[in-house]
Amino acid sequence: MNEMMNKRESIIAEANRLRWELGENFHDTLMQNIYEHATEIEKKAVKYPDAKEVFSFDRTLDKILTSKFLGFPIMFLMLGVVFWLTIQGANYPSGLLSNLLVDTIHPALKTFALNFDLPWWLSGVLIDGAYLAMAWVVSVMLPPMAIFFPLYTLLEDFGYLPRVAFNLDPLYKKVGAHGRQALTMAMGFGCNAAGVIATRVIDSPRERLIAIITNNFSLCNGRWPTQILIATVFIGSAVPAYLAGIVSAAAVVFIALLGIAFSLIVSWFLSRTLLKGEASAFSLELPPYRPPRIFQTLYTSLIDRTIFVLWRAVVFAIPAGMLIWLVANVSIDGISIANHFIQYVNPIAFVFGLNGVIFLAYIIAIPANEIVIPTILMLTVANLGIQGVGAGSGVMFELESASDVATILQSGGWTLLTAINLMLFSLLHNPCSTTIFTIYKETKSWKWTLVSTFLPIAMGLTVTFFVTQIWRLLTN
Amino acid sequence: MNKISENCINCPAHNISNLKKLGIDMSSFDYVVALAGNPNTGKSTVFNYLTGLKQHTGNWPGKTVTRAEGAFEYNGKKFKLVDLPGTYSLLSTSVDEEVARDFILFGQPDVTVIVIDATRVERNLNLVLQILEITDRVVICLNLIDEARRNQIEVDHRTLSKELGVPVIPASARQGEGMDELLKYIYEVAVGSYICKPNRLRSRSKELNEAIEKLTEMIKEVFPNLPNTRWVALRLLEGDQNIIDAVRNGELGNINLSKIVEIEKEAAY
Amino acid sequence: MNEAMLLLFIGILFLLFIAILFYPEKGLLEIFKKSRYANQKVLLEDALKFLYDCEYNNIPCTLNSIAGNLNISADTAAEIVSKLQNMGLLNANRDFLLLTSEGKSYALRIIRVHRLYEKFLADETSMNEKEWHKAAEEVEHKLSDEEVNKLAAQIGNPVFDPHGDPIPTSKGEIPEKAGKHLNEMEPGEMATIIHIEDEPHTIYSQIVAEGLYAGMQVRMIESNEKRVKFEANGEECILSPLIAKSITVGPIKLEKPVEGKLKTLSSLKVGEKGIVLGIAKSLRGQQRRRLMDLGIVPGTEIEAELESISGDPVAYRVRGTTVALRKNQSEKIYLVKEEEKN
Repeated sequence: MNEMMNKRESIIAEANRLRWELGENFHDTLMQNIYEHATEIEKKAVKYPDAKEVFSFDRTLDKILTSKFLGFPIMFLMLGVVFWLTIQGANYPSGLLSNLLVDTIHPALKTFALNFDLPWWLSGVLIDGAYLAMAWVVSVMLPPMAIFFPLYTLLEDFGYLPRVAFNLDPLYKKVGAHGRQALTMAMGFGCNAAGVIATRVIDSPRERLIAIITNNFSLCNGRWPTQILIATVFIGSAVPAYLAGIVSAAAVVFIALLGIAFSLIVSWFLSRTLLKGEASAFSLELPPYRPPRIFQTLYTSLIDRTIFVLWRAVVFAIPAGMLIWLVANVSIDGISIANHFIQYVNPIAFVFGLNGVIFLAYIIAIPANEIVIPTILMLTVANLGIQGVGAGSGVMFELESASDVATILQSGGWTLLTAINLMLFSLLHNPCSTTIFTIYKETKSWKWTLVSTFLPIAMGLTVTFFVTQIWRLLTN
Repeated sequence: MNKISENCINCPAHNISNLKKLGIDMSSFDYVVALAGNPNTGKSTVFNYLTGLKQHTGNWPGKTVTRAEGAFEYNGKKFKLVDLPGTYSLLSTSVDEEVARDFILFGQPDVTVIVIDATRVERNLNLVLQILEITDRVVICLNLIDEARRNQIEVDHRTLSKELGVPVIPASARQGEGMDELLKYIYEVAVGSYICKPNRLRSRSKELNEAIEKLTEMIKEVFPNLPNTRWVALRLLEGDQNIIDAVRNGELGNINLSKIVEIEKEAAY
Repeated sequence: MNEAMLLLFIGILFLLFIAILFYPEKGLLEIFKKSRYANQKVLLEDALKFLYDCEYNNIPCTLNSIAGNLNISADTAAEIVSKLQNMGLLNANRDFLLLTSEGKSYALRIIRVHRLYEKFLADETSMNEKEWHKAAEEVEHKLSDEEVNKLAAQIGNPVFDPHGDPIPTSKGEIPEKAGKHLNEMEPGEMATIIHIEDEPHTIYSQIVAEGLYAGMQVRMIESNEKRVKFEANGEECILSPLIAKSITVGPIKLEKPVEGKLKTLSSLKVGEKGIVLGIAKSLRGQQRRRLMDLGIVPGTEIEAELESISGDPVAYRVRGTTVALRKNQSEKIYLVKEEEKN
C-alpha cells in the first residue's frame, strides 16, 4: 500500500519536474497543436463560398449599428422606443385590471366577509392587506412586464446586446471595468438578481465584483412603476397634455441613463480604491444576427420572465400587505405604529428632501421594490387621515387617475422636489432582498454583500441631500 | 398538406414519436447524457427540444450560466440530460470549464453530445478534439446547419465523422431538423451498439511528446485500467489541482459516484 | 446664514472627512495599516529571503549587505542575524552567513508565497506590473500554508512567476539556476529572456519602461563596459551594463526565431488581413488563454472587420467568428500583414 502511495507521489513530482523543463510555453504549444489539427480536419470537410459577399448583410448592419454617427443615437432611440411603448401600452390594460381586481372583486370580497361575520381584523389583514397588495402589484406590474420583456427578448435574440456592449466598451475601459459589464447591466434592466447571476460571463474576479456591485444602478423592473408614476404625476403634468407622454418617457430614460452614469462612476471609484487594478483585456464575440422567432419569444419571455418576476412580486406583496395594514391599524397610545415612526423620522427625512412615509415605505418594500408606491400612498392617507379617498385607512388602493395621486401626495406635503428626490432615491438605494441574497450566493462574501447593500444607500442619501440643499438655497 | 404527410411516413422524422419529453422528471434513469459545446451554438435549444423544457435562449455568448438538467425517454430507455456550461476550451482555469471538464471525466456520462456551430466548424473543433481526449463516447450535433446553408457553407458531415471517428449529425435544433437522427445515435452509443473510434491529438513538439509519454507510462503502471491516461498526463502538466488530488489519493483508479455528487452540488449554484 | 447653506457646509465637510479617512494610499486608514506592517517578523522573513537569494546566485552575503537590502541600520541587522541563529535557521561565522536546511526551507516557503502571489496578480487581477512586487512583499508574511496551496490550485499550480523565476513547490523543491546575464551574451547570439530581477525597483521600472519582459527573444549586437546594445522582438534597445545585469537569458526553446520588425494586430486597418505570429508574453494568464481558446494562435488568419465608435475596441474576423478586442490586447499580438493583391 505504501509503495503505491510513493509511486503516486512520484508521478506528481515527475510532472512538476517536467513542467519546469518544458517551460512556460507548454500551454501555447498545446493549443497551437490542437488548432493545427482542427484546421487540417476542417479543410477536408468544409467548403466556404468563394466570395465573402454572403456575409454582407451582417456586415452592413454592423457598420450602421456601430457607426460613429448613428451608433449611439440608434441605441438611445431603441431604449426610448421600448420605454415609450411600455409606458403607453401599459396604461389601458392596467386600468382594466385594476377595475376588475380592485374596484369589482375587492368590494365583493368585503361584502362576502360582512355576510359571514368575519372579525374586522381578520378581513382587514386578509382582504384590505394581503389581497389588495397582491391586486395592486398584478395590475401595475403585469402589463408593463408583458410588453417590456418580449420587446427586450426580441432585441436579445436578434443579437443586438453584444453590439451595445461593443459600443459602450470605451466607457467601461476608461473606468477600469470589463466590457461585458455592459451586457450584465443590460440584463439588470430586467431584474438585478438576473443581472448579478449574468456577471459570471466576466472572467476576472476583480471586474466581476465591480459588475456585481454596480448592477443595482440598472433601473430594474420593480422600480419602473415608481419612476413612471412619479414622472407622469409631477413631471408630465408640468408640460402641456400632448407632450406629457413623451416628456415623462424622457424623464424615465434620463433616470435610466443617470443610473448608467452612476454605475460608471462607482466602477471608476472602486477600481481605484477597494478593487484596485487596470482594465484587463477582454474578448467579446459578436454573434451573427439571427431572425428572432416572434411566437417562441412571446412564449418564453412570458413564462420565463414575466410570470417568474410577477410571481415573486406577489409572494412578497402578500405578507407586506398584511404588515402595512397592521402598522397602520395597530395603535400604541392612540397613535398607529406607522405614525409613531413617521413622526420620529420626519425631521431627519426633511434634510434629504424626503419624508418619513417614504423611508417607512422603503423599509417595508425591501423584499420587493414594486410595492413602494402603493405603500407610500396608503401610509400618506393613513397619516393624514384623509377621508373619502380609496378604501380607508391602512388599505392599499388603486386610484382612479393620476391626478388623484397628485392630490393626495400634495396634501401630504409633497412638492416637485420631493418627487425628484423620490425618483433619485428609487434609483439609488439598497437592492431588494432577492438581489442581496443572490449577491451573497455569487460572491460568498459578507463584506461585498454589505458593500453592495449600503453603498447605494449612502450614495442615494448623499445625492438627495445635496440636491435638496442646493434646491432650497436657490428657491429661497 | 396531404403530400407532405404522405412523404413523411417514410422519412426519419417518423421515429421521433419514440421520444418522450420528460421535462425535469429525473427519477430512475438508465443513462446519463452530457451536453457540451461552445457558447452560443444553440446548446440550450437542443436541450429544450429533447427535454421539452423552456430554458431561456438568447443570442449572446455565455448567456446560460446555470447548469440545467432534464430528462427524456427514447426507445423505452430513460436518459438524464445534463446541460454543461458553454465553453470554448477545457484547458483553462475558469470555473465553467472546471465544471464541464470534471463532469465529463469524473462524472463519466454514458454519452457526451457536443453541439457545434456549422458556420464555424474550425473554432468548435478545438473543444471537440479536447473532449475526444477524455472520452470516446461522443455524438456530435452539427447544429445551425440552416444558417450554414444560408451562408453557402458546405459541411460534409461524413468526412467530418470519418476524420473524428464519432457520429456527426447535421441538425437545426430551432427547426427540429435532425433531432431524430441525433436521438438514434445517442441511443446507439449509450447501449453500446455503436462503437466510437475517436481521433486523438498528435503533437508536433518533440519535447512535449516525450514529456507526455514519460508521464503516461508512469500513470499506466499505477492505474492500469484508466482509459484516458494521456489526458491525465496533460492535465498534470497543466497543474490541475483536481487531477493532482485524484492521483494523490488514488481515486483516479476507481472513479466513483461520490465524486459526481460532489461536482453536482458545487455546480448547482 | 440660512439653514440650507449651513447644512450644505456640513455636508461638504462630512464628505471631506470621509475622503481623508479612506483616500487610497494616502488616507488615514491606509497609513494606519502600513504602520502595522513593519514589525519584527517581517524583518526576519525578509532577511531570510535575502540570504537565500545570495546563496542561490552565489553572491557572498554580509551584515552590511543585509542592512542595505532591508533598509535598516547595521545594529538592527546584527540583532536579526543573532535572532535567526538562535532560532536555528542560520549558521554565522566571522566570514560568511549560511542558512541551515530549516532556514532554507523557511525561506523557500516565503519565496513560494511571494512568487505565487505575483503570478496571481499578473494573471488574474490586471494590477499594474510595477505594483506586483510591493503587494507580494506584504502578502508573503500573512498567508498560511493552507491559503497558499488554495491560491496555487486556483491559478493552476504555476511553476514560474511572471518574471520567469521558478516557483518552489509546496515541498520546497526548486530547480537549479539556469541561464546567464544579458551582458554576457556574444554579439550575434540569440536568446530568450527568462528572468527579470524586480529589485531594486528603480532598475526594474526602467526595464519595464523599455518594454522588455520574460519570454521575449533578443539578439545581441554589442556588449561592452559602456553599453549593451541588442535587438528585442526586432526593435533596437540600449541598456547600461548595470541594468543589463538584472536580465537573465536562456537558450531559445520551442519557438522559431523571429526576424525583422514585427507588425501588431492593432496596426491592421479595417479590411486588412494578417497571419498571427505570436502573442506577447506580457499578455498573461486567463487573458492569454482566452485569446488562444478563440483560435488566435500562430498561423491563424485574422482580419480587422469593424471599428467601434472611438476606434477601440476593434472587431476582428478569426476562424469564422467576429471577436471584439481592446487595443491593449491587439497591440500585443504580432503578425505579418498579407500584402494587398492589387
